[in-house]
Amino acid sequence: MPTQPPLPPLLAPYVSSLPPSSLIVLSTVLGAQGNWLTLRYLYAALNASLTSDAALSFGEGHNRKKQKVVLVSFLRGWEFWRAEAKRLGLDLARLTDKRQFAFVDGLSELFAGPRTTPTPSTPQTTTQTTPPSLAPSPRGGPVPQRTILPNRSAPSPIPARGPAVAAPAPFAPVAPSAPPAAPASREVGPVKRLHLSGKGPAALDRLEKDIAAVVGHLNGRAAASAEGEDDSEVLLVLDQPDLLLAATGPGKEIGATEMTEWVMGLQQYVHATVMTLAADLPLIHNASAAGHQMPTPLETEHAAFAIGSAHRAHLVMQLRDLDTGAARDVSGVLRVSKGGAWGQSDNTDANGNWEEKEALYFVQRDGGVNVFGRGE
Amino acid sequence: MAPTNTSHRQTHNLLLISKLLSLRDTASPLALVLDSLEQPATPLIKEYIRRAKLSKVHITFVAFETLKPLEGVDAFVAARKKSPLEIIKAVNEAYPNVSTSGPSRRRLILIDAINPLLHARRTDAQFNVSSFLSSFLMPHGPPTASKVEASLVVTFHQDVPSPPLPSPYTPSPLSMLTYLATTIIRLHSFSHIMAQKAARDRSLVPPVFGLEEELDGVLLGRLDKPIGNETAQGVVLELEHRRKSGRGVLEWYILPPASRYPPQYAKEIVTLLDDHPLYRPPEEPDFGAGEEEPESTFELRLTDRQRRDREGVVLPYFDAQQGDGPGEGGRILYDMGEEDDFDEEEDEI
Repeated sequence: MPTQPPLPPLLAPYVSSLPPSSLIVLSTVLGAQGNWLTLRYLYAALNASLTSDAALSFGEGHNRKKQKVVLVSFLRGWEFWRAEAKRLGLDLARLTDKRQFAFVDGLSELFAGPRTTPTPSTPQTTTQTTPPSLAPSPRGGPVPQRTILPNRSAPSPIPARGPAVAAPAPFAPVAPSAPPAAPASREVGPVKRLHLSGKGPAALDRLEKDIAAVVGHLNGRAAASAEGEDDSEVLLVLDQPDLLLAATGPGKEIGATEMTEWVMGLQQYVHATVMTLAADLPLIHNASAAGHQMPTPLETEHAAFAIGSAHRAHLVMQLRDLDTGAARDVSGVLRVSKGGAWGQSDNTDANGNWEEKEALYFVQRDGGVNVFGRGE
Repeated sequence: MAPTNTSHRQTHNLLLISKLLSLRDTASPLALVLDSLEQPATPLIKEYIRRAKLSKVHITFVAFETLKPLEGVDAFVAARKKSPLEIIKAVNEAYPNVSTSGPSRRRLILIDAINPLLHARRTDAQFNVSSFLSSFLMPHGPPTASKVEASLVVTFHQDVPSPPLPSPYTPSPLSMLTYLATTIIRLHSFSHIMAQKAARDRSLVPPVFGLEEELDGVLLGRLDKPIGNETAQGVVLELEHRRKSGRGVLEWYILPPASRYPPQYAKEIVTLLDDHPLYRPPEEPDFGAGEEEPESTFELRLTDRQRRDREGVVLPYFDAQQGDGPGEGGRILYDMGEEDDFDEEEDEI
């Protein structure tokens, strides 16, 4: 089989040149994971900024701005993303040093107490007023297990706690109010770890502040370097934030509305947002199928969050299994649909030249992806 | 009867939708727009804004899930992280409280989605949808000289599941809203309506789309160009309007896509769904077809001579009515033709 281009041509219009302040929802199911598509978004943004010649090949490349990416991952660690991106030819560690990329780890220490910090010498800056009893969250026990399941495609399960990569200091204090242009803050390592503390919207606000600090850090250098094109665009990739919803739930006063508002808050800091969500049948339909049984709070909240996000999205990329069963040369079906917010602004530039489409895709052993129409 | 009915519907119901969308005479203070992922409310909201701009109505947009203001909106109130009371306050402040000398001004308040508010944990048990919505229509502030006629358009996503109710006796938010609303507009995608109609015309089960398919991983089923149906664009509005008298009006309309007409176009663009060339009532083509005899390999028509002969036949019961006595009536009278053979055993008379 011939080697595939990193960005399949059918996919290129949907992953590059995202309209401003747009939200793209990427829905996945257990059998059809969206890691490869998330990586294609990273590639489209970062590779184009690596070599400006490549940007021209995408058409309308002349007015492309520099793109930076903040990846907030709730289910997979830094090692996983670094290894997967390497197969595409992206060196995330180097891009982190160049401040074109930042990784926010929402997995390792989201519920960990302060003592489990892997590098105890560096102080954790997030306010840790949590009583340690909150961390294991006994009542949320079965719930996160259910969401962690899709982790199976990771080469090593939860690798993010390993020693941080080539960066000099794994992480340095990033106070939310730290002046981003200060030279001291250059030593921010590849991984910023989120820590959930407290309850309800206030806890989400703290997470939002942490992520905003990372975004501001990326932006800050562009402003300080005083180049001609300092208005770089930051693409925020939220990888499965539904873990937060599943792991906290009504007991911590976090519901679909709070999550939606949290995402809206994050959207304000960045140019465009890509969010992956699980759209498995039980998570979406148990809440609406009336009469079978009482839906659990998780089912209701997840369905409300996922469907509500699709209403807010400009584009919904839906991955699912092949309807006719597993096949050797097809991994799944990709359906691109316009979301509820599509067409809100009148100028056609902001809407992009997207058209709805359904295609098959195949993830090869080497990580290359082939996207093709039915029967091609 | 049918043609007069259609023309009556055309005149009256088109007038009604034009009044409702253009917010004339405060025909409907609270319009509830029920949309779904298959047909979002965005085209209808933009049509409301377009018409309000034409008639210079002040537009306030209450955004629960929109980040950037839509074009043409006068005031944009971000409702994110606000309590209902704060939203009411912000909306009331958004209206320029100038006691203009002119007649009572009109204002339009659009709520992009009421679902987040109904879902939010910050809304406590005391929160009441009806009082929340009515406080927009009747502000509690000091009675100003110029009365403001406010119209409220609330969008509700039908497919977002509702949170569990606090008590089994409280009505669901949707039933509360449908009870309060004076106008309910349900949105459908025209291509889906066409596909369902085509199935019904063949007595097939109408297809469902998107979430209703209940397929794993499918949130949206909409595709731009369903095969062979390229012109089926537009939004179908299923309107239910409650008049002041209490009588309800039900009608189906179609709103063409915004690219089909200029933004300043003042004439009515909404038409009845039945008048759309792609959606005709199924009886019409059958009228013409009824005139012709079905073709057959048999000659079923009669010649004149055959008809005369048939009329001349006296059927047995006519004879029986003359009452010549028992056993006399009811005989079969038969005049032998030339070609008949006389058979003694059978044809004894």
